[in-house]
Amino acid sequence: MAIESGKSAKRPRPPSATRNPNPTAHQNTVGAHTTLAMSDSDARQSKAWTYSRRGYALAQSFRQLRRRKLASLSTLLVFGITLALPALIFFTANSLAALGNRSVGEESITAYLTMQTLDLDGAALAQRLQSQPGIKATRYVSRDEALALFNAQTQINQAVELLGENPLPGAIIVYPDTSALNESAIAQLASQLDQLTAVERVQFDLRWVKRLQAVLNLGRTIGWVLAGFLTLTALLVIGNTMRLELLRRQNELEVSRLLGASRSFLNRPILYAGAVYGFIGGVLACGIALLALNGLRDPTAELSALYSGGFELLLPTVSQLLMVVAGATILGLAGAIVTLCQPKTQFLQNRRTGI
Amino acid sequence: MIQFENVSLEYTTDQYALRNVSFILPDGSFTFLTGHSGAGKSSLLKLIARLEKPTAGDIIIDGIDLSRVKPRQEHKLRQQMGLVFQDNQLLDDRSVFDNVALPLIIGGYRYSEIKTRVKAALKRVGLGHRAYDEPLSLSGGEQQRVGIARAVVAKPRLLLADEPTGNLDADISAEIMQLLMQFSASGVSVLVATHDTGLLDTFDFPRIQLHQGKLVDVHAGAPRNRTRAQFTSGEFA
Repeated sequence: MAIESGKSAKRPRPPSATRNPNPTAHQNTVGAHTTLAMSDSDARQSKAWTYSRRGYALAQSFRQLRRRKLASLSTLLVFGITLALPALIFFTANSLAALGNRSVGEESITAYLTMQTLDLDGAALAQRLQSQPGIKATRYVSRDEALALFNAQTQINQAVELLGENPLPGAIIVYPDTSALNESAIAQLASQLDQLTAVERVQFDLRWVKRLQAVLNLGRTIGWVLAGFLTLTALLVIGNTMRLELLRRQNELEVSRLLGASRSFLNRPILYAGAVYGFIGGVLACGIALLALNGLRDPTAELSALYSGGFELLLPTVSQLLMVVAGATILGLAGAIVTLCQPKTQFLQNRRTGI
Repeated sequence: MIQFENVSLEYTTDQYALRNVSFILPDGSFTFLTGHSGAGKSSLLKLIARLEKPTAGDIIIDGIDLSRVKPRQEHKLRQQMGLVFQDNQLLDDRSVFDNVALPLIIGGYRYSEIKTRVKAALKRVGLGHRAYDEPLSLSGGEQQRVGIARAVVAKPRLLLADEPTGNLDADISAEIMQLLMQFSASGVSVLVATHDTGLLDTFDFPRIQLHQGKLVDVHAGAPRNRTRAQFTSGEFA
């Protein structure tokens, strides 16, 4: 008897050990068992992969899912529903971020020019400002255009006519660059504009944008905290399921251990089961989140239309879906690892019974 | 060869499962391990299978001092032993074939070889036609034969059997013993723990008798059995 390590521990594989094309041929004389044995044997021929170490572990994981369909389905649904909200938040995060950026991006700073500034000078100044950093675009509004807009939007054009001259100054509307947009940058830009000699007064109002962004930030934070809690819940669900799985398979684990199974051989089916649960749960979570997202799209679009906004909930990309499934699989694996690392389950695997 | 040198196993202070047990079993021997319940038979088998570690003394199997075997290598030691249990420990949720295949899957054998070996082992215990039945559909004797097939399928050099006939009637017990003797005849060392006096009377093989953890008697067995098993009383310490 020798204890070897690695692959050398395996016994030599004689070349004569070839696959028998008809493994049940010898069973054809045993009466009632013949038909059943042959059909089962034929079925098993296609499952040769389940007789490798990894294949065995994977087959055992699926076997448990199949044998306890209702319990497995319940667990998977709990896992899927729990993960659906974090997935939904993840999917809508981009849309919400776009909403915040668009709200800020559509804001502008208006620099009213002095009455003495000519249209040509005003237009040239607007052109010059456009090339400066932090400014995405500018638009010059001449005094005549301002008056026309004023007349179109108000009913007091007769009063203006009584004045005899256009009382409105020209203005440059400055659209800040959204890529480097923040409160202090806007204030600094406004201050720079205010220092120009041609500029009489600068007007900007980001209060409502700031409020919206604060609300969005709060919502995002609450969303991620909630997502964190739900992810933790999912981890606990998987951990508990794996613990039950270990208890259910206690006999098999003990027998395998007595037959010389290594720690990795004993742990592998549990790890695979965790990953399988995670994967299927992730797919379910994606499905539920997609259904919810689809249901929310129309009401959101209607609400957005009421506020003259162009906001819409975007459907997730394939990479986002894959990320959720991968994350759920890792979560399932983590649940299984946590279960295997618990002292009590280690004890389960170290029980010395049988003899 | 299995060698015990002053081996003791103490579960708690002053509560000995085995105390200063010494003996040598040569290769290819067939030996009974006898004694009443609680005599220490199962503890001795656990020590050989490295399921327990002695609190004193040395156990040497085929020149390997088990105290030097690292925990991560213990499973490799067990892969080279066959274990037969009183309650056969078959997994009810899979076929006879899969039960017998388990040691080979654990050992990392290819499917083609697994199939060949499992079929040969089942044929040898007379259950080739029940390969794809579930264990629960078999009789007690058949289940125990499946357990034996599982124990020998990986061709171990040592077979440990703990009360293999404990749940069986006399006729079936005799069949099981014949099977174990066949494997012994093919060079496998067999150590059978039993307190079945009827069995001991029927099969006059060498035996080690334990009482309250101590080796109290050795019996060399019938001369023909000694010769076949290459066992001599002188090899008892």
